[in-house]
Amino acid sequence: MDLLGLADNLISGVLLGGILALAALGLSIALGVMRLVNLAHGEILVGGAYLGFYLLSITGLDPLLALPLIGLLMALLVYPLHRLLLAPLGAQGPEAPMMTMFGVSIILQNAMLLLFSADTRSIDRPYAATPLQIGALSVPLIYALGFAISVVLIIAVHLLITRTRFGREMRASAADPRAAAAHGVNVRGIHALSFALGAGCAAMGGTLIGIAFSFSPSSGASYLLSGFAIVVLGGLGNIFATLVAGVALGLLQSLGGALFGDGYRELVGLLLFLLVLAVRPQGLLAGRGA
Amino acid sequence: MGPASISAAASAPPRAPPGFALSLALLIAFAALALLSGWAGDYVLELGFRLLVLMTLAEAWNLLAGYGGLVSLGTASFVGLGAYALVGAMNRGVPLALAWAAAGIAAALLALLVSRAVFRLRGLYFTVGTLALAEALRLFMVNYQPFGGAIGLFLSPDAPSLRGLFLLALGLFAVATLLMQLATDSRYSILLRAVRDDEDAAAQIGVRPFRIKLLAFVVASLLMGLAGALQGLKLGAVEPYGMFGLQWTVNVLAIVVIGGQGQRLAALIGALFVVSLGEVLAAYPALHLAITGVILILVIRFAPQGLAGWVVLLWRRLHHGSQR
Repeated sequence: MDLLGLADNLISGVLLGGILALAALGLSIALGVMRLVNLAHGEILVGGAYLGFYLLSITGLDPLLALPLIGLLMALLVYPLHRLLLAPLGAQGPEAPMMTMFGVSIILQNAMLLLFSADTRSIDRPYAATPLQIGALSVPLIYALGFAISVVLIIAVHLLITRTRFGREMRASAADPRAAAAHGVNVRGIHALSFALGAGCAAMGGTLIGIAFSFSPSSGASYLLSGFAIVVLGGLGNIFATLVAGVALGLLQSLGGALFGDGYRELVGLLLFLLVLAVRPQGLLAGRGA
Repeated sequence: MGPASISAAASAPPRAPPGFALSLALLIAFAALALLSGWAGDYVLELGFRLLVLMTLAEAWNLLAGYGGLVSLGTASFVGLGAYALVGAMNRGVPLALAWAAAGIAAALLALLVSRAVFRLRGLYFTVGTLALAEALRLFMVNYQPFGGAIGLFLSPDAPSLRGLFLLALGLFAVATLLMQLATDSRYSILLRAVRDDEDAAAQIGVRPFRIKLLAFVVASLLMGLAGALQGLKLGAVEPYGMFGLQWTVNVLAIVVIGGQGQRLAALIGALFVVSLGEVLAAYPALHLAITGVILILVIRFAPQGLAGWVVLLWRRLHHGSQR
């Protein structure tokens, strides 16, 4: 491969990594705030892609413009899930909610299979195929757009968590749920809202991924795992570390694809994930503090 | 007595005989069926083979999750590796018995190899780590041409007849039952439960959590490798999407959770339930899986001890009733 092609490839990887970071944010929030391993995260993300797909085909609304709407819709859809399925499990330890979400993931995947068929789809937009020329370099325009949107959304979530009352209560619930409750924080309500926030981010990331790539009801697992790779790489509790980890993963995937062939792209991310777990499980980028 | 030992005692399965006596009775019933299998039709043998393989996998998974608190989503890695190892070895002229043993050992070695990564962080990371392992192995097998890539491998020597396969599966399940009996009715079972309920407290009183967990992981993986090898032998061909598919993981998890985690009867009751459900809904695979998901959620919420928990409760009530 020529050097210019490799440079294109790596820049694409970086841009894609930003989108993956947005998609992983929900996983990180669920794990950080309520110690929930959300095994249905991948299906929520794919659900977001389908929302974008059908919103476009039914109303003609451009999925990039409708992104906030898609996030809001998904947040509203999953909010009752927390109230009905997760909140009542409160006292059962961390495995019960995780396995419940595994059940939800099986249900969602097969419900999508029944509703939308196993066909592979993609959200067809003109900017999906247009290349963006920067000097001699050329990357898909959607990667650049997706990256920019993802970074804006990640910063917005960061501001929400650091600057608002909701964010303060969310951080308090994460650090010490009992102390937070004693100070009048409605921990259960905060958990439900955080869960919905995470799902909204996943759905928006899913829509971006759905424009850039094709997807099917069974695509979820691979995004769940790349999400976990990012969360483990970046550690919990720092949103910008998540962004950096996403970019790093995107870069490494592109590098792996360029070196060993496209089939190995995802494998590189998974091996990295297992390696980081073995060597430095608290996250490569996380500081000493919690 | 610390809180750990109290909770361990509280969550221990009853020492009363239903578990052992019933699994023994079941084994005898199966042996009888095997002897009678001269009359049993192919359908019965097929179903029996599937049930036995799934029950072996469920016993192994129950040792991990039910008794050890190690919820694995990596069942498919060990099933797939076992199947590939057996087919690969037999294609190179290794006799069946040796190839089968090698398949089990390969799976146990894989467990040993990844244990450092998956045990490093506790609890939930084990789950995610094993899921990543299964996905990584599947992707590797799809892409790596020397192992047949996406097409997989064909078994060149002849596989045993269906009856032979059924007998092999029966033998494997007997071994699994015996191993589970050893693991759940011994000093080791107490150590394993202590580590599950409170790793720190267990470590404080001199238990080495890593070794205790590792032994469970290696034994379970060995059984999964052996079961996967049998499945590969029966199919006569292995390909990555099927042998490393998430389907194995979902089925086995569903069997044990519905049967009752940490209950000796979980594999039997859960497998009967899940396999019957599968037979009834055989024409609607997506609906079958979705319904399995719904049942999983309901069981976790309303019957954490699973169907076996109900059976044990019922048995106790009847027992007490007859004494009065």
